[in-house]
Amino acid sequence: MKRAIATALAVAALVAGCSSDGEQPPVNPAEPGRLRVLAGSELADLKPVLDQAAQATGVQVEFTFTGTIEGAEILASGKADGRFDAVWFSSNRYPQALPEAARRLGTQTKIATSPVVLGLSRAKATELGWADKPVTWTDIAQAAADKKFSYGMTDPSASNSGFSALVGVASALAGTGSAISATEISAVTPRLKGFFAAQTMRAGSSGWLSEAYQRRATGEDPGAEVDGLINYESVLLSLNAGGKLPEPLTLVYPSDGVVTADYPLTALKDAPEHVRADHRKLTDYLREPDAQREIMSRTHRRPAVPTVELTKDFTAQTLVELPFPATEQAFDALLMAYFDEIRRPSRTVYVLDVSGSMDGERITSLRGALVGLTGANNDLVGRYRRFHGREEVTFIPFSDQPQQPISFSVPESNPQGELDRIKSAAEGLDSSGGTAIYTSLDRAYQLLQAQPDDGRFTSIVLMTDGENNSGQDYADFERAQANRDERLKGVPVFTVLFGEGNKGEMENVARRTGGKVFDARDTDLQHVFREIRGYQ
Amino acid sequence: MKRRISIGLAVVLLAAVVAAIVFGSGGDEGTPADQAQVVRGVGGSEKAAFFADPRVGEAFGKHGLRVEFDAAGSRQIATAVDLGPYDFAFPSSRPAAQRIAVDKKVTKSYTPFRSPMAVATFAPIADLLTAQGAVHKGLGEYQVLDVAKYLELTATGTRWDQLPGNTAYPVRKNVLITTTDPRDSNSAAMYLALTSYVLNGNAVVSTPDAEAKVLPTAAKLFIDQGYTQNSSEGPFEDYLAAGMGKAPLVFIYESQFLDRQLRGDGSIRPDMRLLYPQPTLLSEHTLVPLKGNGDRVGELLTTDPGLKRLAAEFGFRTDDPKTFLDVVAGKKLNAPADLLAQADVPSYETLERLLTEIARHYR
Repeated sequence: MKRAIATALAVAALVAGCSSDGEQPPVNPAEPGRLRVLAGSELADLKPVLDQAAQATGVQVEFTFTGTIEGAEILASGKADGRFDAVWFSSNRYPQALPEAARRLGTQTKIATSPVVLGLSRAKATELGWADKPVTWTDIAQAAADKKFSYGMTDPSASNSGFSALVGVASALAGTGSAISATEISAVTPRLKGFFAAQTMRAGSSGWLSEAYQRRATGEDPGAEVDGLINYESVLLSLNAGGKLPEPLTLVYPSDGVVTADYPLTALKDAPEHVRADHRKLTDYLREPDAQREIMSRTHRRPAVPTVELTKDFTAQTLVELPFPATEQAFDALLMAYFDEIRRPSRTVYVLDVSGSMDGERITSLRGALVGLTGANNDLVGRYRRFHGREEVTFIPFSDQPQQPISFSVPESNPQGELDRIKSAAEGLDSSGGTAIYTSLDRAYQLLQAQPDDGRFTSIVLMTDGENNSGQDYADFERAQANRDERLKGVPVFTVLFGEGNKGEMENVARRTGGKVFDARDTDLQHVFREIRGYQ
Repeated sequence: MKRRISIGLAVVLLAAVVAAIVFGSGGDEGTPADQAQVVRGVGGSEKAAFFADPRVGEAFGKHGLRVEFDAAGSRQIATAVDLGPYDFAFPSSRPAAQRIAVDKKVTKSYTPFRSPMAVATFAPIADLLTAQGAVHKGLGEYQVLDVAKYLELTATGTRWDQLPGNTAYPVRKNVLITTTDPRDSNSAAMYLALTSYVLNGNAVVSTPDAEAKVLPTAAKLFIDQGYTQNSSEGPFEDYLAAGMGKAPLVFIYESQFLDRQLRGDGSIRPDMRLLYPQPTLLSEHTLVPLKGNGDRVGELLTTDPGLKRLAAEFGFRTDDPKTFLDVVAGKKLNAPADLLAQADVPSYETLERLLTEIARHYR
């Protein structure tokens, strides 16, 4: 009987599954034995361990996934109150810096750790002479500035691995020996620019980045091969263990320091009474040596508990931990400098369906989503996801055929005038007519073809709410894609499923271009447009 | 399927009830766990292991109590935690307890445990600091950190890789003790008490002039660390698990280190060292009864010999020094019997003012 119940519980855990949007209310009310956790998406790989934990402790985890800054903002705004019992991010450094978020954090219990490091293909690591000697962030930044290698990294405003890497490399380059402050950032900006010049892949999540890296490496995705990844050690070791990479990654642990995620499962201070006990039961279980070893072998994260020995998969090198700033002011200064001055500027073409079916609520929603990227919403996430200095943005609205493209160029300083122009263009979008998806997408490629290859980070967003019924069809797109030159072939298309958009075709377009499909059928379009910014 | 499960559950629940009745009626030694009165307390994380220990549970059980203890930063308890559900608060210092007692209009308190503050480090680091004259041997088999000498190193922002002849730890980070977050945690407040005492020429800070004099230097000791954790188990666990690269010097309660040594679980490795600051500073874990059986818990911790011995096994010093020293000696460990040259903790008003000033730097 007991077994039947255990099985039933496990099934329930599976069915409960996870939603993917911290803005949406969770389906389930508070209940003893169920911990509603707002979490970083990379924790999804703990599911087997958590299922075992649920059987052993009777406490089930119900995840809702979000990004680092989104998560902190949800906490700070009070939107987590009553909806979540706990938060579980890769670190509490960011929420701790926001007083309104920090005061909501209760008991924090670290479950595992993983440093953010550089993984390079073995050949590249050998070529650079980094395979078996100490390498500093300064060495890495110099080689990056000289374009001796290329790498992928997540958006620091969307994902903790990117955030940790940005703070880590900035602190290391500043070299002051203490946590970097807002005023020290301008001094390291030129060298940070060099470091980020070699970044050829961006992503809004660590998981997608490592999958995309693998697809590039195996030739499944178009685009130039990427030499390496900046990511959690756990993600890089998992990639190697997966055995699908043509060549394993050599992990480079910078000798001047790393930033380490410590995964604190954190009860919320005002959570219901039963949460305290459930949190303790679960964390006690997860910190038992057996569970720690299970986490280590399944997910390649290091144990948080001192008595559990590291397996031989991990380096014996002593990892120096870089001091991490503690203030929102320092984080904000660094993130703003990153977007407006440091990273390679972006060029983005938005191919936007304004056919008749978009009438009413849909076109209003599209206008709002675009306006939201002009800094109109000055919430924390909106602040980092808006169009930034040095960016080029083009709108190609379409119905029966593509309209004349409207292009914008956001200046490095005083961007407001151009942002206002983008805003009024978005507000002026009107809907009527048919749906010429592929002719319009092709127009975007023509436009990009005519641009100089000036090292911009180039991508296309394709948003449509219906079936293609005019002009070229999907087969035409496939043919054209096969014949495009290497530069255009590697431009990712981020497709947005909306209304009655054709799911299969949108997935195919994303796959053929190394992009990603975003589903806005059940979520707010603004949320999706913001999420895509992490990939641009 | 669903129906079968709910019937199954009902059967199991019924069985549980029957079991409770059967076992519940039999006991005459003490009170069975499910009839004991639950007493809820909140306090510093360094005491969580003590309250979670089954032997401690048993000792309270003999008096008909079951203590549930939640860990929170001692300053958080004083300022941010809703104390409504709790029967007692057990912060790690007198000033924090004083603040709670004033807020809650409680006049009674117990100080069952004391711990000198200490610095956990590693042999290579201790050697480097010895070469700098900042560490020397104490009166017994223990090492002392000269706080004034340490502050000379931090005043100039000395990095490890700038120490002459340093090949053991040539790291581009400041020589700096890792503490907890001064806004939340008592151990950080104790660090402030200690450093402000030395910065003030070995005198407790008690005037606005003295406050103004020590603040800039004292604040920098925290700000330069950047992000800090909010509970004393956090950095100590990093010290144990991540080692020298992450946490070369960590400010802790002596009890945290001794507890691990006494457990003999292998977490204190041969190259780990405990330094006693000179002057030293005693943190007095003070229990403030808030309601119900909270008072009983305070009383038992101060009077029950069994609980005192258990406290010693967790590395706490009680008002019975012999028990503590016996427990330590029994495991062939060393801890100073007497701690001389003690610094005083400022009044809680002064400490609060200093902490509030330092907190401004985090905004």
